Amino acid sequence: MELTILHLYPDCMSLYGEYANVAVLRRHLEAMRVSVRVDTALFEDTPDFSRADFIYMGAGAERTQKAALSALLPHREALKAAVDRGAVVLFTGSAMELLGASITGADGRVWPCLGFADFTTRETGNRSPEDVVARASLWESFVVGFMNKCSETFGVAAPLFDQVERGPGNAGDGSPGEGYVDGNVFATHLTGPILVKNPDFTDFLIRRLFQLKGWQQPEQLPVLPYEREAYEVTLKELTSRAGG
Amino acid sequence: MRLFLAVILCKLLRFIGGLIGKGSSLPGQFALKVCPNVLGRVKLPEKIIAVTGSNGKTSTVEMIAAILEQDGRRVVYNKEGSNQIEGVATLILSHCTLGGKMRGDVLLLESDERYARHTFKWFHPTHFVITNLYRDQLSRNGHSEWVYDAVKDAVFPETTLVLNADDPLVSCFARDHAPDRVKWFGLDECSVSTREHRGVYHDGARCPVCKGPMEYSCFHYAHIGHYACPACGHKRHKPDFAVTALDLKAGRLTINGDRPLCLAFKSIYNVYNILAAWSVCALAGVSPDVISGVINNYMLKNGRMITFRLGEHRGTLLTSKHENSVAYDTNLSYIAATEKPCTVLVIVDAISRKYFTGETSWLWDIDFDRLNAPHIGKIMLYGRYCNDLAVRFKYSQIPADKIEVGESIPAAAAYLKENGDEDLYVVTCFSDRDKLLEHAAR
Repeated sequence: MELTILHLYPDCMSLYGEYANVAVLRRHLEAMRVSVRVDTALFEDTPDFSRADFIYMGAGAERTQKAALSALLPHREALKAAVDRGAVVLFTGSAMELLGASITGADGRVWPCLGFADFTTRETGNRSPEDVVARASLWESFVVGFMNKCSETFGVAAPLFDQVERGPGNAGDGSPGEGYVDGNVFATHLTGPILVKNPDFTDFLIRRLFQLKGWQQPEQLPVLPYEREAYEVTLKELTSRAGG
Repeated sequence: MRLFLAVILCKLLRFIGGLIGKGSSLPGQFALKVCPNVLGRVKLPEKIIAVTGSNGKTSTVEMIAAILEQDGRRVVYNKEGSNQIEGVATLILSHCTLGGKMRGDVLLLESDERYARHTFKWFHPTHFVITNLYRDQLSRNGHSEWVYDAVKDAVFPETTLVLNADDPLVSCFARDHAPDRVKWFGLDECSVSTREHRGVYHDGARCPVCKGPMEYSCFHYAHIGHYACPACGHKRHKPDFAVTALDLKAGRLTINGDRPLCLAFKSIYNVYNILAAWSVCALAGVSPDVISGVINNYMLKNGRMITFRLGEHRGTLLTSKHENSVAYDTNLSYIAATEKPCTVLVIVDAISRKYFTGETSWLWDIDFDRLNAPHIGKIMLYGRYCNDLAVRFKYSQIPADKIEVGESIPAAAAYLKENGDEDLYVVTCFSDRDKLLEHAAR
């Protein structure tokens, strides 16, 4: 069993330990005797989407995010082809915004994005980094994490998380959802090593990858030491204290 | 009249606050209510020095104060580190005459990097020292470019910028500033420099101006070093004040080929703090004799390194700034350099002192592999977030049989009290350090 992960722009779309998302996914897959190859692409490279089974991009600062957008736009069709054949895509933090129609900067400048979804993002000029607890729509547990954004995203057809219990959702207009999902494309504004923090999310993605590869789904997925204990502590801490 | 009232009120509240041991920002807060533009109306001394940056503000300010005082200047500075506008107002007004004239020759301010623009709306520093910008408490600060933009709003044309030439992001402050009002400090390539970047992440990988790939001829630590962007030409400036020789092990450094100085604390941070203090004091007209005299006799008072005894162990507690991977890396390197057999205890119990967060991403930015050294025997991971630490260590090269994991800090202390006599290093942040020290003898 062989599988290829493509990590886009790891040198700079990495606000806060994002590399760990790739590392933890790889570790889990290897625990299931999957041979994992990790490709990386920098701004100057032509990413090889054709053989990628899992495509990941993490969060970046606003100016870096725009540079990532400029780097990725010329390869939109290749990425689209990968999406169409069912490659599992995860964009976290500000990378999520690239999947939508556009980003409007705090200065009013409009950046057309990949346009895989109709949603639009508006930068607000205000930032309030926050802890997050959210309810996943696709698996049975709460998601914990941290958000570090200065934007609002409007018009998401299907959020990845139905209900945000703590922290901001996509938009500040009271709509309850966070993130974005369409088939095997997943996005959330959660920042950092979210797959480390949420073993159920990792397991969910592994099952999607097995599906994509046509491999038989194992009954049980490996549980690696300390991960679930760490998750329980953070969930308890975040739900037992008042928000803010 | 409002100015007069604000000064009186501030002094009064400061006096009462002193009696009941209460904080330093409240008097200023009230004074600003009475007279919102009070900081624009008081008469300030001719020299106003401000210091900001991610790390080293407090230590640098204290060193600058010691040097200027030794030079016979009357220095007013925020000793208590209350570095937002309310604290600055308290400081200034409690040193004012009733007519609104600040006593003292120099106003010296440690300035919060995100709030400097509020303070300096009312008056502009004559010298603004910017030490460094890196990943620091992102759960408060966002990210370093966000902080850069906030500091940028506090930079005014008449201010002389005193900048760390070795930090590519800090160097950007000079881009729209008159070149004769920028002074640079930096380290020549020296014994600490490496060709390769060290650390888990590299925030200097891309040019902060054009996002093209940055080229470095050497690194001093993290993204601090000698860089040049082939795409847009953004590059390190030749420093006006340079560390021309450095032997960190022996604790000796030389600035601009002057006499060798002794380092009280042998860390690369301290080198930059001294260099920044030297630079701004020299610009303020203090002679090298006075500056070097103070630095050579300088005792660090900030309590970041505390020695203690725990059972038969000689312990050293190395405190890192909260959620600040560069600070942790520096302390880990310190332990790695000791070369004597030791045990390391890492504690993550409360992540922040001032506000609640469950955010542990920063653990993945710390280069724990620095502890992968033969003289480091056991590594104990303790505190509420011990599981997060344990997961993190699973992704290091450190052999699993060296690792011990537990939640209870008292249990860790009790175990160490009864077992072993090797040196002990404790790595933690300010909010957790007393949780171990209360079991130790000082």
